[in-house]
Amino acid sequence: MQQHLGAEAFSSSSITNHKGKVERSVNACILMASFGWKRKVGEKVSKVAVQLFEAEAEAETEGEEEVRGGGEDEVDWLHAIKRRREVLLEDCASKSKRLKDEGSLLAEEGRHWEAIKKWDEAVQLTPEDADLYEMKSQVLTTLQEVFPAVQAAEMAAKLRPLWWEAWQTLGRAQLSLGEVDLAVRSFQVAIHLRPAERPLWEDDLSWAQKLQRQSRATCKKAKEEEEARQQLLQAPELIPDYDFESDEVVAACATIAERQKRYDSLRKTTVLIDSSGTVVTEVEDRGDRTPPQQQFVKVRGL
Amino acid sequence: MTTQYSILFKQEHAHDDAIWTTAWGQNEKDRTETIITGSLDDTVKVWKWSDEKLELQWTLENHQLGVVSVDISHNGTLAASSSLDANIRLWDLESGKQIKSMDAGPVDSWTVAFSPDSRYIATGSHLGKVNIFGVDSGKKEHSLDTRGKFILSIAYSPDGKYLASGAIDGIINIFDIATGKLLHTLEGHAMPIRSLTFSPDSQLLVTASDDGYIKIYDVQHANLAGTLSGHGSWVLNVAFSPDHTHFVSSSSDKSVKVWDASSRACVNTFFDHQDQVWSVKYNVDGSKIVSAGDDRAIHIYDCPM
Repeated sequence: MQQHLGAEAFSSSSITNHKGKVERSVNACILMASFGWKRKVGEKVSKVAVQLFEAEAEAETEGEEEVRGGGEDEVDWLHAIKRRREVLLEDCASKSKRLKDEGSLLAEEGRHWEAIKKWDEAVQLTPEDADLYEMKSQVLTTLQEVFPAVQAAEMAAKLRPLWWEAWQTLGRAQLSLGEVDLAVRSFQVAIHLRPAERPLWEDDLSWAQKLQRQSRATCKKAKEEEEARQQLLQAPELIPDYDFESDEVVAACATIAERQKRYDSLRKTTVLIDSSGTVVTEVEDRGDRTPPQQQFVKVRGL
Repeated sequence: MTTQYSILFKQEHAHDDAIWTTAWGQNEKDRTETIITGSLDDTVKVWKWSDEKLELQWTLENHQLGVVSVDISHNGTLAASSSLDANIRLWDLESGKQIKSMDAGPVDSWTVAFSPDSRYIATGSHLGKVNIFGVDSGKKEHSLDTRGKFILSIAYSPDGKYLASGAIDGIINIFDIATGKLLHTLEGHAMPIRSLTFSPDSQLLVTASDDGYIKIYDVQHANLAGTLSGHGSWVLNVAFSPDHTHFVSSSSDKSVKVWDASSRACVNTFFDHQDQVWSVKYNVDGSKIVSAGDDRAIHIYDCPM
């Protein structure tokens, strides 16, 4: 986009003239370089060929000089370029603003992908504009494009670290990605910048904390379940040289049965968080569980 | 004794995340100096300052969310900390044990400040009330109402007469502590006031705001005595030197600036931090400055005396 604009901004006839000149002098350089190489292995090249080349090169340089002499007096390149650059910058900012507004309108109408396209074009013009990334992140989160949403919001927060809304958007994107701990951190940064913003406390932070408690409780339960299973498999009470009737074996069987029960009960519970935010573990009714799909596949295979 | 400002010590990676607050205290009995820092990583760290270096003494871990404010009692034995979960905790600095936990209620605590006699802790609330907790009782004992917005910053005057609060809408309130009456309301800034500090003689009040300015007020007459510019972004913290000659400010422009209190000119700028500098404090005799911020580093500077 920037290149396109650049070409548009320069008056095209003089720029091509200039370009032609550059190309020619490059050609001349290549020719001269090749003579240098030829001279080193001079014995193998016939004199006629060398003379031919030299003559051609001379003609080339003369032509070159003519062009150079003709063009130089007319355009003051140094100042023209400077002035053009200012015009270009102004143009970028206003054009980006227009694209941003167009994108916002599209996003409001629910045309999310088109909005993102507009903002991407605007980003090409004004790559430092944090607003663009922040809006893009919101729309990407709506579209469930979670990873790009986090990236866009991270960019916004990096460009404008004191802007609480960038951190809020980042936190929300991180929540969608399932990065609960990171989201809690982002919301805290947002609150620290803007403590009076009640929704940050009441909606964002408290919701993220609720999810954090839930994931921690789930983690803990999984660990307990694993421990119970380990205990079930390793039974030091069962010594190989045993007497079936002895009290120890009976007691060992009782303990194992107890552990089996604990393991089963742990497997049947699920972690739930009620509306007040307290963690509740609930026993799940798994009576009418359907057998796993895998078994059917296996049977069919036979 | 040095004759110019210089950086004396850097503690990189002092915390696992941004440092939001610091305090510098001195134990009255054995003269040992303690620096405490509070961070977004939910911890408060207690550091011993001796032989020109920092030594980690305790990591206090009971806070559930980021620690926004810390303070040390004037005899140097107690620390108070407040976090985003609105818990104020009191710590014994010698043992590193928690003495009390006070629940200020949801969103009802930001800056904590010990009263000059260290018997009370003041904190602001989102409803514009200054709540004063008893250190011994662990309960809310008084409440001063500004009838304003969320109070971000609190300061006691060293003579114990006044309490000043700075709100999110830029309004400053000064209370008479003895009567609990609101003496002055100053419309100082149009943006949040994140920090304010009294001069050691309690005559001046210095405020720092997101508008990038530092303002100086004459406390008795409630006059604006000066407006200082120099920071390129939010001014996050201000602190007065104990000898009354200077005050120091920190900003999200990553700098720490030392100002002459009489000429009101910036006499030195430290550009040593990599990110926003959230907190800056003087030590008890005014010979050193501590600063900390988002780059997780603690810096100690030498001041000419």
